[in-house]
Amino acid sequence: MMKKMILIFVLNVIIILPVTVFSEGLEINGFVRNYSGILLEGDNDYSIVQNTLDLSFKKSEGDIGFVSNIFVYQYPSKENYFGIRELYMDYYSESVDLRIGKQQIIWGQADGVFITDIVSPKNLTEFLLWDFNEIRMGVTAAKGKYYINSDNSLELVWIPMFTPTLMPEEGSIWHPKMSFPLEPSFDMTKSEVDKNLNNSELFGRYSLNLSWIDLQVMGGYTFDDDPSIHVKRGFSIDSVTGTKYLSSMVVSPEYHRLNVGGLSFSADLTSFILRGEGAYYNNKYFQTADPIASDGLIKKDYINYVVGIDKTVGEWKLSTQFIQKIILDYEDNLIGDEMDNLATILVSKSFMREKLRLELFSYVGFNNEDALIRLKGYYYPSDAFGIEFGSNVFVGNEGTFGQFNGNNMVYAKIKYNF
Amino acid sequence: MKKILGIIVISLLILSSFEMVAEDAKEIAYKVYNRKAPKDGESDMKMTLIDKRGGERIRDIRQFFIDLGDVEKQIMFFTAPADVKNTAFMNWSYDEAGKDDNQWLYLPALKKVKRISSSGKDNEFMGSDFTYEDMEKRNPERDNHKFIKSDKIDGEDVWVVESTPKKEEQYSKKRAWISKEREMPKKIEFYDEDGELLKVLTVLEVKKIKGYWVIIKQEMSNIQKKHRTLIELSNMKVDIGLKDNRFTQRTMQRGL
Repeated sequence: MMKKMILIFVLNVIIILPVTVFSEGLEINGFVRNYSGILLEGDNDYSIVQNTLDLSFKKSEGDIGFVSNIFVYQYPSKENYFGIRELYMDYYSESVDLRIGKQQIIWGQADGVFITDIVSPKNLTEFLLWDFNEIRMGVTAAKGKYYINSDNSLELVWIPMFTPTLMPEEGSIWHPKMSFPLEPSFDMTKSEVDKNLNNSELFGRYSLNLSWIDLQVMGGYTFDDDPSIHVKRGFSIDSVTGTKYLSSMVVSPEYHRLNVGGLSFSADLTSFILRGEGAYYNNKYFQTADPIASDGLIKKDYINYVVGIDKTVGEWKLSTQFIQKIILDYEDNLIGDEMDNLATILVSKSFMREKLRLELFSYVGFNNEDALIRLKGYYYPSDAFGIEFGSNVFVGNEGTFGQFNGNNMVYAKIKYNF
Repeated sequence: MKKILGIIVISLLILSSFEMVAEDAKEIAYKVYNRKAPKDGESDMKMTLIDKRGGERIRDIRQFFIDLGDVEKQIMFFTAPADVKNTAFMNWSYDEAGKDDNQWLYLPALKKVKRISSSGKDNEFMGSDFTYEDMEKRNPERDNHKFIKSDKIDGEDVWVVESTPKKEEQYSKKRAWISKEREMPKKIEFYDEDGELLKVLTVLEVKKIKGYWVIIKQEMSNIQKKHRTLIELSNMKVDIGLKDNRFTQRTMQRGL
C-alpha cells in the first residue's frame, strides 16, 4: 500500500513537472532541507534526521488562479511522510475573493499560541518545533471574503469534513505523557468524526483595517481539534476484604463540538505595536476527579486570551506576550487549574547585513514552572542557501513543556531555496 | 547714542539677513518636498548589495505607489531571491509633521499580514545601506535647515543645504546638494550621532517620464563600514490611474 502511494506520488511529480515547467506563467518555488537533531541526554540519540522536499506551484490568469504545495519528509529510520499541504483555486472579483480546495487558513494576531487561530488544525508530530508553514495543516474548505469597502470585510469558511490535530505517534519522543492508575484498554470506535454534512465546520469573521488598528471579530461552530479522553472505570469487590477496587479502565478518545467567539487586534501605538486576542469557548470537555461525572469528564466554558507587545530598539526586535486561560464556573474536582498562565519572549537581531540572525524565543509556563527555551542562529552564505543551528531546552518536570525535559537537543538545518 | 543706534541697526540687519538665509534653506527644502511628482505609478526595482570585497547580492522588487495628498502609500513585492519571494511590504507615509508611518509586512510562510512598528524605521531595509526612512519623503518641518552655499556638481548648479532634525534621530545632520534645475538631490551626506560622516547617497541617473524627473539609479555608500547599495528602477510607469483601494492588506496577500 505504502509503495503504491509512493509510486503514485512520484508519478504525479514526474507528470506534473514537465507539464508545469513548460506551462507559461507558472511559478515554481520550494526548498530542499536537511534537518538533524541530537538529544543531549543519555546516549545522544538522534531526535530527528529528516530530509525535506517542498514544492509549490502557482499560476494566475486574470481573476483566477491555483496553488499547489506538495511535500515529502524522508526519514532514514522511519516511514516517510508525504502529501499535499495546499491545493486550491482562487477567484477574485471587485469585491469578493473565493478560495476553494485544500488550504491553510491562519487567523489571529498572536505568535506561537492558538486562540482564534483554530481554523487549520496543527501538526504536533514534532511538538511546537515545526517551522511556521509546516505546523498548520491544510483543510479542504470553501472560503469567501466579501469586501464591503477597503476598510471592512466579511469572511465565511465552510469546512465540510473535520480534520483533527495530528498527534505524535506512539513511541515518539513528543507523545504526550499520560498516566493511569492501571493499564487501560483503548476503545477507538469513536476516535473519528463521521464525514457527513452534519459534521462540517463553519467559521465567520469580520475585519476592520484602519491606518492605526486592525481588528477582527470571529465566530466558529467547530469541533475541538484535540480529543476528549473518556475514561470508563470498572470496579470489583475484593472477595477477601470486601472492599471495592478499580479493576478496569477503558479509554476512549472522542471529538466534540465546540462553539467559539472571539476577537483579535493589532494597533500601532507609535513606539510599539500592541497585539491581542481573546476567545470564549463554549462546551469544552475537561477532565474531573468527580466520581459522579460521566467518563471522568465535565463540560465547562472557558476564556483564553493573549496580550502582546512588539518593539524595535535600535536593531533589536523585542516581543513579549502574556497568555491566560480561565475555566469558568470552576469546580475543585477539575484536574486542570482554574487559571493557566503562560508568557512568550522573543529577542532577535540581525548582523552582517542580514547574513546572520540570532534569535531567542521562549515559552514560560507559570503554573508548572516549566519552559521551552529556543536559541537559534541563522546564517545565509548566499541568498538561496541558509544554515540554521539551534538548541531546544525544556525546563521543569511537568506541564506542557516540562513533560519533555528529557528532550533537550541541539540541531542544524541546511536549506536550499529555489 | 548714535553709535548705539548704529550698532542696533547693524545687528538687526545682520539678524534679518540670517533669517532670510534660514528662510531660503527651508524654502529649498520645501521646493524638493513639493516637487512635481507623479500621482501614482509602478516600477521594477533592483537592489544590489555590494560588500567591501565587491561581492554582490541582489534583491528584485516590484513596487506600486500612490500620492493621495495627505498620505503616500506604497506596496513592494519581493520577487527574488527565492527565500523572500512573495514577501510584501506596505507603507503609509503621512504629510502631517510628526505623524509616524504605518507599516505592514506579509510573509508567505506566516500567511498573514503583520503590522510592524514604525519605530524600526532606522533599521536597514532588507539588509541594504538604506534605512526604511531613507526611502521615504520627509516633511521639511521635522528639520531645521541651513543654507550653506551655491555650488556646482558635474557642471550642474546646486544649492547646498544642511538639515538638522528637531528631535534626536538616527542622523545628527544631513547635507544635501540639490539641483537648482530639477529641485531634487544630486548627493546627500548622512552624519551619525557623533557628527561623523556615515553614508553618502549619490544620484547616478535621472530620467524625465511624462514630464516628471525621476531618480532611476542611485547608490548609497556606507563610508564607515565600506559597503554600498545600488538601486536601479526600470519599467517605470507613472500616472496610470491606480486606485487607493489597491494599497490594502488584500493586495499584499493576493500578491502579484
